[in-house]
Amino acid sequence: MNVAKRTFDAVIVGAGGAGLRAALQLSEAGLKTAVLTKVFPTRSHTVAAQGGVAASLGNSTEDNWHWHMYDTVKGSDWLGDQDAIEFMCKKANEVVIELEHYGMPFDRTDNGKIYQRPFGGHSMNYGQAPVMRSCAAADRTGHAMLHALYQRNVRANTQFFVEWMALDLIRDADGDVLGVTAMEMETGEVSIFHAKATIFATGGAGRIYYSSTNAFINTGDGVGMAARAGIPLEDMEFWQFHPTGVAGAGVLITEGVRGEGGILRNAQGERFMERYAPNLKDLASRDVVSRAMTTEINEGRGCGPDKDHVLLDITHLAPDTIMKRLPGIREIAIQFAGVDPIKAPIPVVPTCHYQMGGIPTNYKGQVVVPKDGNPNSPVAGFYAAGECACASVHGANRLGTNSLLDLLVFGKSAGETVVEDFQSGQLKLKPLPADAADVSLARLARLDGQTNGESVFDVGLEMRRTMQKHAGVFRFDNLLKEGVQKIGEVAERAKRTQIADKSKVWNVARMEALELDNLIEVARATMVSAEARKESRGAHVRDDAPDTAENPNGRDDANWLKHTLWYSEGNRLDYKPVNLKPLSDDVEPIALAKRTY
Amino acid sequence: MSRRLKISIFRHNPRDPRSVPRLVDYELDERPGMTLFIALNAIRDTQAPDLNFDFVCRAGVCGACAMVIDGRPGLACRTLTSTLPAAFSLYPLPVFRLVADLSVDTGSWMRELAERLQTWVHLDAEPDLDRLEARMEPALAEAVYELDRCIECGCCIAACATAQMREGFVGAVGLVKIARFRLDSADTRDDADFYELVGNDEGIFGCMSLLACNDLCPKELPLQTQLAWLRRKMAGQGVRWLRRG
Repeated sequence: MNVAKRTFDAVIVGAGGAGLRAALQLSEAGLKTAVLTKVFPTRSHTVAAQGGVAASLGNSTEDNWHWHMYDTVKGSDWLGDQDAIEFMCKKANEVVIELEHYGMPFDRTDNGKIYQRPFGGHSMNYGQAPVMRSCAAADRTGHAMLHALYQRNVRANTQFFVEWMALDLIRDADGDVLGVTAMEMETGEVSIFHAKATIFATGGAGRIYYSSTNAFINTGDGVGMAARAGIPLEDMEFWQFHPTGVAGAGVLITEGVRGEGGILRNAQGERFMERYAPNLKDLASRDVVSRAMTTEINEGRGCGPDKDHVLLDITHLAPDTIMKRLPGIREIAIQFAGVDPIKAPIPVVPTCHYQMGGIPTNYKGQVVVPKDGNPNSPVAGFYAAGECACASVHGANRLGTNSLLDLLVFGKSAGETVVEDFQSGQLKLKPLPADAADVSLARLARLDGQTNGESVFDVGLEMRRTMQKHAGVFRFDNLLKEGVQKIGEVAERAKRTQIADKSKVWNVARMEALELDNLIEVARATMVSAEARKESRGAHVRDDAPDTAENPNGRDDANWLKHTLWYSEGNRLDYKPVNLKPLSDDVEPIALAKRTY
Repeated sequence: MSRRLKISIFRHNPRDPRSVPRLVDYELDERPGMTLFIALNAIRDTQAPDLNFDFVCRAGVCGACAMVIDGRPGLACRTLTSTLPAAFSLYPLPVFRLVADLSVDTGSWMRELAERLQTWVHLDAEPDLDRLEARMEPALAEAVYELDRCIECGCCIAACATAQMREGFVGAVGLVKIARFRLDSADTRDDADFYELVGNDEGIFGCMSLLACNDLCPKELPLQTQLAWLRRKMAGQGVRWLRRG
């Protein structure tokens, strides 16, 4: 196959919030940049974010970045790196105000400042009471943010390659990253994007689960590409199950609903969160709420004929508040649950929502791997930001509104690092190896030549069911062990997927087969990392690691206060220390403590 | 009792020389709460693996899945099959370049529009990030937000008679964006600047006020009021220039 070569200063894969924020930095600095994206930028999944972006502006209640940092470290169950967390919380006001100047239409307070609402796990004065920290554009914050970022990129004349799917990462003999191969979906042609810098902003892989709030495009392409190219994946056992997906439909209902006063109730009408989190109640951290809901359902207090969900009640709120602050939610509830939340509660169930782990990076957005005794040695030419990356600010559990903040702060930071490295002459266009496209071409040739293979749909379904059953909200030792076995079998089957339609033009089936290759890497990483971590921490809670006096909440800091690194080759695990030291002397390390709300 | 649905889908792949435009019928059993998102995926998974259509968010906010549903442009993800007859058709949106089957290229069209109408906030200077946010009246912020809800799905263009006849007409999506930036106190452009952009037949004076856009907008944007208001403002601006001679 003829492979065209294109050369750029930088190539960015993904045009959601993180990709657009990084692209803006590069375009405005005059770097020749290509942004590859499977869908038109404003269709990216950032568009679905609802509740807000965290920043300690203190517009409605007193607030500061120290409190935000404390909440984030605690939310992460101390698995987050404190240097990256300090960096993010300090930068929050800057990136939000910047966006406001770019035209993002935030709601306003009576005195004209950005409106802020309470959100789960965010508190004042180190956990004492809920704080108003989430900057919101009603309940369509992601949509407003994505469009504002896109508009600014149009102004900066950013060049997008829309409906291009990146296939594989190109590394040379030194391990440096030289770009990616990518397929133009319309023609099926493969090209090499050769660049001095490659930034991954490909989002998460929530589609490994059967029940997910994620869009169909969220297939972990960057994460899968990195894994196949020998980059380890960090902390992949940690997945966030959002407490309030619409039962049956999976569509997200923002935590902002509870921020505005919404209450979760079981079949007896009881506000059960009072028992699980006496202080923050319905606004406890997401992992805590999801487990409480699952416990209620498992113990027979679920609602509906199958007792398989609980209810999110806002009928006590003024209809005006609902119409003004939560109009999109009302629309979703009517459409997908068939209830008007002004009159009746919404049936909800914990639903896979966010990937805490990912491609290991530092706070500058550089991808880092263990090398020569340094656990965090940067890979030359490779950067990542947003959900596909693990900085790690979310650790074992992400707080709501910290994802939009993550993509702004680290999208910008990765962009700034690339611009600095570029301007200092540190970034070089290294010669392409002769076999740069071979891996991708072999994958395509395998698909074209496959006979007696399996359907992509069947294998994908088996993967999603396996993940849902064996690595869900609660984890069980025996199910995890079986899960490792099963997901290994599914991965073998994925090597023999077959497509009926072999045409090159707009071949959806081929794209889905290629996406499945990426999902499979993520699914393996998740299951193997989860089985190995013999403690409960954040979103990873095991039956054989219960709450005890020596291990509160089942967390075992003596043995497991460390980041998992999973290597695709050999299905191998490694670990590296958590950075408990903040970036500056402005703040003391947040000391380990039991996590309660 | 559940219905048996018969969906006639427009099939054509313009890049394939052998492909001819045609309607193909697919049948499936209706389930409670079935949306076109569910129905089309079921058809692709079991009957037509090569069927092209676009979905991203499935919650009516990304704007990717607009198509002509039983004769009317709308968002497929938010359309319940129970609101349609048992036999109905699906066509791609007109005006936009056909990619394949139900998938059209709204993106290139929207990008061209954004560049032509300069749909971003024009500031006097780069933002000073050490300063606090610029204040804005809550009522104004709400009005701007209301218009900023546009998801660029293309339904208003597909429904517009002018857009079908006059290539280059910016349509409701373009005009509502101008209205949005005109409202925004942060944007430094004045009516003369906006007149340069839309004070012509490809802009506000091309609108014939048939208002199908207003009836079909999936986000229920107040297009009728906005178009009328913009026309008045732009006509006023034109008159001011005429008087000045």
